[in-house]
Amino acid sequence: MGQTDTTSTFEEEEIDFSLYDNLSFADEGAKRFCSPKIEGLSPAKLISVGYDFQGGYDLSAGDILGADDAVLAAGGTHRVNATHGLRVGFNVPVVSKTSLVWQMGANFWNTNYVYDVQPTAADNPLHQTLAEHGLRTTGINTTVFKPLDDKQFLLFQGSADLSGTYGMDFMPLKYLKYSAALLYGRRPTERKQWGVGLARTYRVGEINYIPVVLYNATDALNKWGAEVLFPARAHVRRTIDPRNMLFFGYELEGQSYRMWRNPEGEFGDLRSEDLEVRRGEARVRLVYEFSVKDFVWLSVQAGYRVNYRFDVDRLMEGEEIYRAFGLLRDDPYAQVNELGNPFYLNVSLNLVSP
Amino acid sequence: MTRRLGIWAAMAVIALGMLSFELPSEINSDVLAQKTAGDELLGVWEPSNGRARVKIDRIGTKYYGRIVWLLEPNDPETGEPKTDINNPDAALQDVPLKGYRMLKDFVFQEDGTWTEGTIYDPLSGSTYNCVIKMTDENTLDIRGYIGVQALGRTDVWKRLAMPKR
Repeated sequence: MGQTDTTSTFEEEEIDFSLYDNLSFADEGAKRFCSPKIEGLSPAKLISVGYDFQGGYDLSAGDILGADDAVLAAGGTHRVNATHGLRVGFNVPVVSKTSLVWQMGANFWNTNYVYDVQPTAADNPLHQTLAEHGLRTTGINTTVFKPLDDKQFLLFQGSADLSGTYGMDFMPLKYLKYSAALLYGRRPTERKQWGVGLARTYRVGEINYIPVVLYNATDALNKWGAEVLFPARAHVRRTIDPRNMLFFGYELEGQSYRMWRNPEGEFGDLRSEDLEVRRGEARVRLVYEFSVKDFVWLSVQAGYRVNYRFDVDRLMEGEEIYRAFGLLRDDPYAQVNELGNPFYLNVSLNLVSP
Repeated sequence: MTRRLGIWAAMAVIALGMLSFELPSEINSDVLAQKTAGDELLGVWEPSNGRARVKIDRIGTKYYGRIVWLLEPNDPETGEPKTDINNPDAALQDVPLKGYRMLKDFVFQEDGTWTEGTIYDPLSGSTYNCVIKMTDENTLDIRGYIGVQALGRTDVWKRLAMPKR
């Protein structure tokens, strides 16, 4: 919505703009702080309602091994015609000051698996439980941006997610998974910011502690830019105009899903097996985001979902195994699975922040 | 003697009157305008990003803010003074940003806030509902929002003045 001049009936005064060249803060103790955004950055989403769809692929489930490495259930391959579900997110500023910005958010992601042939009790329990229950995540998150001065800042992001095969009856909160990242950053110009830090993340499916790098930049003409939080995501941005933006890049998605509900049949009690699906995938994609009307933006993503891991892990006395990519431990997974890499599409309607 | 003093006094009044008409018009208008509740908002303010300075005036009973200074006054592509190129109304894209009214129609309320106005963001070409609160005499909370205040963002503006010598 462009603005119309409601004062057009008033005669405009001629302004001597040079009067305003040499001014300083009236409050001599006032400081300048860098802002969390840079020029040209894609707008933050306050509310997002979207739908995610993956095309067909083969899911080859391996044998499920017991704690004693005995085979509990034999593997098998099924065709999944589609994986789809609703994705909803909210983000609301709680504190928005020059010296501190604090946001709180919530999200719900639902993932349903549509099998070509409905698995039965004779099939591997992973197929059965995915077909019957799907996977979902409900979480809350927070972001704190603390500028130290006009060039330096600290950024903290934290989230608590309940992920599993639960339905309307939630799992106990003891299965919450916590992720967090803390970065120190600099904002040398209005068009560039970078930062380095450490993250505790489930992006590749299982718990990891990894270094992270933030880099956001926009060129002088606001036509090209980069929006990077490596390794979680990295995109090159082409700004057609401030209401039309194209992105090319990737995002890592992942979470650990508790196998909470039991499939129909004779397999036994999955809950007592202490099993979690470690889902980690890369989404290589082209994204087009544009303003439909005023602050309502449509985002359309299309690309390939590239599987990194979809293995089932067994907790050891209730504790997750921290392998550090095999550097610390190399315990075998309870079930190793292979997925094809299908085309995917994601469409979301968003209310963007001022 | 009394008559001479009277002539000198009359000349002094005329001279002072001429002097007042030679003051810069925007300063002059502030001085001559009748002060009302809410006029503490008048002055020159700097948004948190420090890239612009906005002078707030009162016209009638409403308050308006014009961009009077830009950190980067010229378009890097053309070298010409920046215009409102992101305005979705093509007819307004040639309007210079310097002098642009980005705050409009604010009305002072009894609770000490200025409401019913809008703020325009030249970087995105979007206009938002806006409420202004003065947290101290030199600080404003400018909250742009969409429909309800919860869906918004607050920017802190600082008052500017001539540097003390």
